[in-house]
Amino acid sequence: MTGKRSIRIWQAGVGVILAGSWQLAVSAGLLDKFFFSRPSDIAVRVWDQAVSGKVWPHLWTTSLEAMLSFLIGGALGVLSGFVLARRPFLSAVLDPYIRVANSLPRVVLAPIFLLWFGLGVWSKVALGVTVVFFIVFFNTYRGVREVDPAIVSNARMLGANERQLVRHVLIPSALSWIFSSLHVAIGFAIIAVVVGEYLGASMGIGYSIAQAEGVFDTTGVFAGMTVLAIFVLAVGALVQRLERRLLRWKPPQQGSADL
Amino acid sequence: MGSGGRRRVGVGRWNGWVQVTPAIQVNGVTRRFAKPSGEVFTALSNVDVEIAAGSFVSIVGPSGCGKSTLLNLIAGLAPADSGSIRVYGEALAGLNRRAAYMFQQDALLPWKSVLENVALGLEFRGINRSARAATAADWIRRVGLEGFDSSYPHQLSGGMRKRAAMAQAFLVDPDILLMDEPFSALDVHTRLRMESELVSLWSGTGKTVVFVTHDLEEAIALSDEVIILSAGPASKVAGRFSVDLPRPRNLIDIKTEPRFQEVYRVIWKTLREEVLKTHV
Repeated sequence: MTGKRSIRIWQAGVGVILAGSWQLAVSAGLLDKFFFSRPSDIAVRVWDQAVSGKVWPHLWTTSLEAMLSFLIGGALGVLSGFVLARRPFLSAVLDPYIRVANSLPRVVLAPIFLLWFGLGVWSKVALGVTVVFFIVFFNTYRGVREVDPAIVSNARMLGANERQLVRHVLIPSALSWIFSSLHVAIGFAIIAVVVGEYLGASMGIGYSIAQAEGVFDTTGVFAGMTVLAIFVLAVGALVQRLERRLLRWKPPQQGSADL
Repeated sequence: MGSGGRRRVGVGRWNGWVQVTPAIQVNGVTRRFAKPSGEVFTALSNVDVEIAAGSFVSIVGPSGCGKSTLLNLIAGLAPADSGSIRVYGEALAGLNRRAAYMFQQDALLPWKSVLENVALGLEFRGINRSARAATAADWIRRVGLEGFDSSYPHQLSGGMRKRAAMAQAFLVDPDILLMDEPFSALDVHTRLRMESELVSLWSGTGKTVVFVTHDLEEAIALSDEVIILSAGPASKVAGRFSVDLPRPRNLIDIKTEPRFQEVYRVIWKTLREEVLKTHV
């Protein structure tokens, strides 16, 4: 009973049970429909929004913001991770500042970014970047530092110069670390931009959730969450495909279920 | 000179090479490490070694005697704290560009195929793809890995990975091959076969091999000369022995030959003392 098929069946089963008991609890009057809505209502709402086209501009804005913060934050994170891992002195000097910056709760930055970058896309991107950057940065740093010293020595003895060492040894070696951070980073990028939208925007899923909440439309709030969840899963699957392509040299890991 | 009771026991005779510039001259080399506790640990103290060009020399010693440290110094992977190292007469500064290194652990790049790994030295030298593929394919055949060109290291057995590493090292055509217990992770029989292949790849090339091992039998079977390092810390050369077993040698059966055993007994007398000094 551990085949891919049976895992899929059980996964669907868990979902059906969760949604089903929610639905039943509301029908039976155990949960108040006003506060908890109903899976069937939420599904209808998501469908309506998709068909009427109301959801797409919001989803587009959110995904644009998430992608931009992911790309900018990821690029900055990989770059600084590499530089600091290769320059121990610099990393020692900057260490306290990085810690301080990383320990800041991002939500408190949102109002500042709203003031600096306005209600549009860029204030959300800025918020997303501050989240993505640190996740990718720490993983890249660690990935580069934990390269097998024998492999580095071997490449150097075979005549690799600094640039070749980075390209042929350090980047590939750090890649599995970077990838594991990308999974997390994508999720956090979306959370950050949605929080940004929620606090002040004119567009986006976070904005639409805030709007629904403003009129006590629980179904609208859950519909927004559902759209987000589907989006996060789709993007995650995409990253995983890319990862599988780029890390095909890795021995298959034991017990890694196909999630 | 004369440190650490350096002596030549008359197992064999030296002939011919004395006037030629040695491949490697290690003079009065000391190497210290700072332990995490802050103490200074002296790995090698005032070591003198001379390795003749074209010879196969093994460095043997009890565990922790600084064999690998010495090899890393010769490779230029680590600097000596005092003393000097000369390679074909030239003072070594930085990496030893005339040497290739075979590591004890797997040091193939896991993200590159066998072909890419073997060709790595050429890639670093800027040779174009088709030229390096041709050369690498030839070496892959010579080490008996035909058909595994596009396999990744994790798909190979331990012995096959060592074959690939051997091809990788030989392909850059180094004057010196430094080998740090390259076969110690293999089972006895695979190891015997790899030793034979190493010797047949090496013989007639004029390359100098420095082979670190803790296994005296392996050292004698392969080498022209065996250097014994004393027990650490502050190891020095405890003895040098030439091995005059005729070549080509049949490595599969050589250990049963009386002459081999005679050589073994002589060298073991020195090594034995060092082994017994080691705290285990």
